Amino acid sequence: MQKPAQLQIINRFGASNLLPLSKPLFTIGRKAENDLQLLSDTVSRQHAMIIYEEGNYILVDIGSKRGTFVNNQRIERCSLQHNDQIRIGGDEDEQITFLDQTVERASVIFNSGPLPPLSANSDDRIRAASANEELQKLSRFIEVNQAFKFSLTPDDVLYLIVDAAIEISNAERGFLMLRNKGGDLEFKVARDRYRNTLEGNDFSMSRSVVEDAFKQNRSIVVSNGLSNNERTPGASIFSLDLRSIACIPLRRFQMSDNMDATMMLKRDVIGVLYIDSHSQTETINQTSIRLLESLAFEATKSLESVRLMHEEKEKKQMEEEFNMARQVQLALSPTAINQPEHLEIAALSVPSRYVGGDFYDVIPLKDGRIAFALGDVSGKGIAAALLAAMAQGALQSQFAGNLPLTDIISSLNKVMVQRSASNRFITLFCGVLDRDGHFTFINAGHNPPILARTQGGLEMLSTKSVVLGAFDFVQYAPLQTRFFPGDVLVIFTDGVTEAVNSRNEMFSDERLEELVRKNVHLGAEEMRKLILNEVETFTSGLPQGDDITLLILKMKNPG
Amino acid sequence: MDIHIRTIRTVTIIDLSGNLIIGKSEESLRETVNRMLAEDRKDLILNLSDVPIIDSSGIGAMIKCFTSVKAGGGRFKLLGPSRMARQLLNITGLLSVLETFDDETTAVASF
Repeated sequence: MQKPAQLQIINRFGASNLLPLSKPLFTIGRKAENDLQLLSDTVSRQHAMIIYEEGNYILVDIGSKRGTFVNNQRIERCSLQHNDQIRIGGDEDEQITFLDQTVERASVIFNSGPLPPLSANSDDRIRAASANEELQKLSRFIEVNQAFKFSLTPDDVLYLIVDAAIEISNAERGFLMLRNKGGDLEFKVARDRYRNTLEGNDFSMSRSVVEDAFKQNRSIVVSNGLSNNERTPGASIFSLDLRSIACIPLRRFQMSDNMDATMMLKRDVIGVLYIDSHSQTETINQTSIRLLESLAFEATKSLESVRLMHEEKEKKQMEEEFNMARQVQLALSPTAINQPEHLEIAALSVPSRYVGGDFYDVIPLKDGRIAFALGDVSGKGIAAALLAAMAQGALQSQFAGNLPLTDIISSLNKVMVQRSASNRFITLFCGVLDRDGHFTFINAGHNPPILARTQGGLEMLSTKSVVLGAFDFVQYAPLQTRFFPGDVLVIFTDGVTEAVNSRNEMFSDERLEELVRKNVHLGAEEMRKLILNEVETFTSGLPQGDDITLLILKMKNPG
Repeated sequence: MDIHIRTIRTVTIIDLSGNLIIGKSEESLRETVNRMLAEDRKDLILNLSDVPIIDSSGIGAMIKCFTSVKAGGGRFKLLGPSRMARQLLNITGLLSVLETFDDETTAVASF
C-alpha cells in the first residue's frame, strides 16, 4: 500500500512534525475538533480543508476571514502539488509544506489502518463508533458546504455518499443507482474502495438483489452467499463469487408533518445504494446495514438540500446574466449628454428589480438638429433588454444616414417585425428638433410625452401610430409642433406613471401632468430631480416592477 | 382566465373572463386562436367585456392573434374593451388596426 500525502509542519522553534493526509476530508482551523488545529488569532475556527478527490488533494478555503495561501497566492480552491507552501490566515508560527511522494494514488486508503474485518468475535462497537464518526463527518461536510455555498453539485454528493458507504462497510465496490423518468434504475456512481470511478455502464453485480431492494423497498443483505431475503439468492451471486452484498433503497425525503405510517410505506424509492465485496473476511453485517440505512437517509436528505442549493445558485447566475444585460443597456445609453446652447437636456433611467426594455438616446444631427428617442420593449428579461439594444443601435445607424424621420421609423418597424417574436413590440417616441424650435415627431404607441408651455397649458404629443414590431403594413406619419423659449417637454415610460405605492395605487398620468404644469419654470435638471423625488416619495421605497425612464428638454430663453 | 367559445352564424366569438396578462392567460388565448384556425374558423371576435385588466403581454398576444388570423385569410375583431383597455389600445395605436366594437350585434354584422 502506498503512503498518503503528508503535511510537514515546522513550528517557530524548529520542531517538525509530519501529518499524514489519511482522511478523505482533512480539516484545518482554530477549533480543537479540526484535524490540524492552529492557535493563531488570524486563523478562523473552521478555516480550510483538504479534500481528496479523483487522485488529487484539494485545499479549499471555507470562507475564512484572513484567507488561505499557497506559495503566497491567496486561493479559494487549489489542487496541491508536492512542496507547495501553505499559509493559513496570517499564521507565521508554523511553516506548512505539502509533501506528496506517492506515485500511484489509486492505492491510498483513508483509514489510518484497515478496519478490523468483521467476524463474530470482532468488536462491533469500535467499528460502529468509527463508522458513526464517518457518517457525522459526511453530514458535517455537507453542512459546511451549505453554510459556505460551495460549488457542490448533486453529483458531488452522490460520490460522497458512495465513498462513505464503502468506508462504513469496508466493502470493495459501491454503486448508486437512481430511478430515471421512465422508472428504470440508472447507474449514477460506480466506485472502488480507493475512490476511483469504475468505468462503464454494465457491471458484474447481482441484479436480483438490486431488483428486490428497489421493488420491495427494503434493505437486502447477502452474507457468505446467504440472503436475508426469503427468496433464494440469484444465481449471479454464486457465479460472481460475491461473498457479501448490501443493497439499501433510497427513499424520497419529504418534509411533512402529517406523514402517517401508511404514507411512510408508500414513500417513493428514488434509487438504491449497492455495495459488495469478494473477500470472505470482510462480510457486511447487521451493524453496518443499520449504519448504511442511516447513511441512505442522510444522503437523500442532503441530496435534496444540495439540489435546492444548486437551484438557488443557478437562480443567482441568472440574476448575474440579467445584470449583464443591464450593463449592455447602460453602455448604449448616452453617458454624458452634450448640452447644446439653445437647449437643456436631462435624462434618467432607474432600473427596476427586473431587467426591462427601456432605452433612450440623444443623437446630434447635421445643421444643429438633434434627434431624441425614448422607447420601451414589451416584456422583461434578457430578450427585452437585447431587443432594446438592437432597436437603439438600428436608430443610431439610420439617423447617421440622414433620412427623413418617416423612413427611419418605418424601416425600424420592418426590422423589428422580422427580428422579434411576433408577440413582442416596442413603443417609441422619436422626434427631431431644429435649432429654431421646430419639432417633428412620431409617437409609435408610446405614452404621449407632456409638452408644457411656459405661457400655461399642456399638449400631449401623440400621432396615434401603432407600436413598432407588430405589423409590417402600417405607415408612420410625423406631426409637427414648435418649442418656444421656456417650454418643457417631458418624455417618460409607463414605469413613471404606473409606479405603485403600498396601497397599490398608481402614480398616474394626472399626477405627472399636474406636477409638470405647476413647475414649468424649472430647468430640465431640476424637473428631472423633482419628478424622481415625487415618485420616490409616492412609492416610499417600494421596489418597482418596471424601469423608470425620463428624458426632459427645455428650450432656453434666447440670449 | 376562462375562455368560452360560441358561434353566431359564421362568426366565432371567444369570450374571455379574467385578466389578460403575462403568463398563462395570454398563452391560452394564443393557443385558442390557433385551435380555431386549425378548425378552419376564420372570422373571430375576441370578447373583452369581462376582462378588467390587460397588460403589455396581453397586447402582445392580441397582436400575435391578429397577425396569425390575417395570415390564415381570416378576420380578427375586438368587442367591448373596458375603459382602461380601450385607453391602452388607443395609446398603442391598435385601435387603428384592430376593428373594435361596443355592441355584439354590430360586431357580428360587420363580417
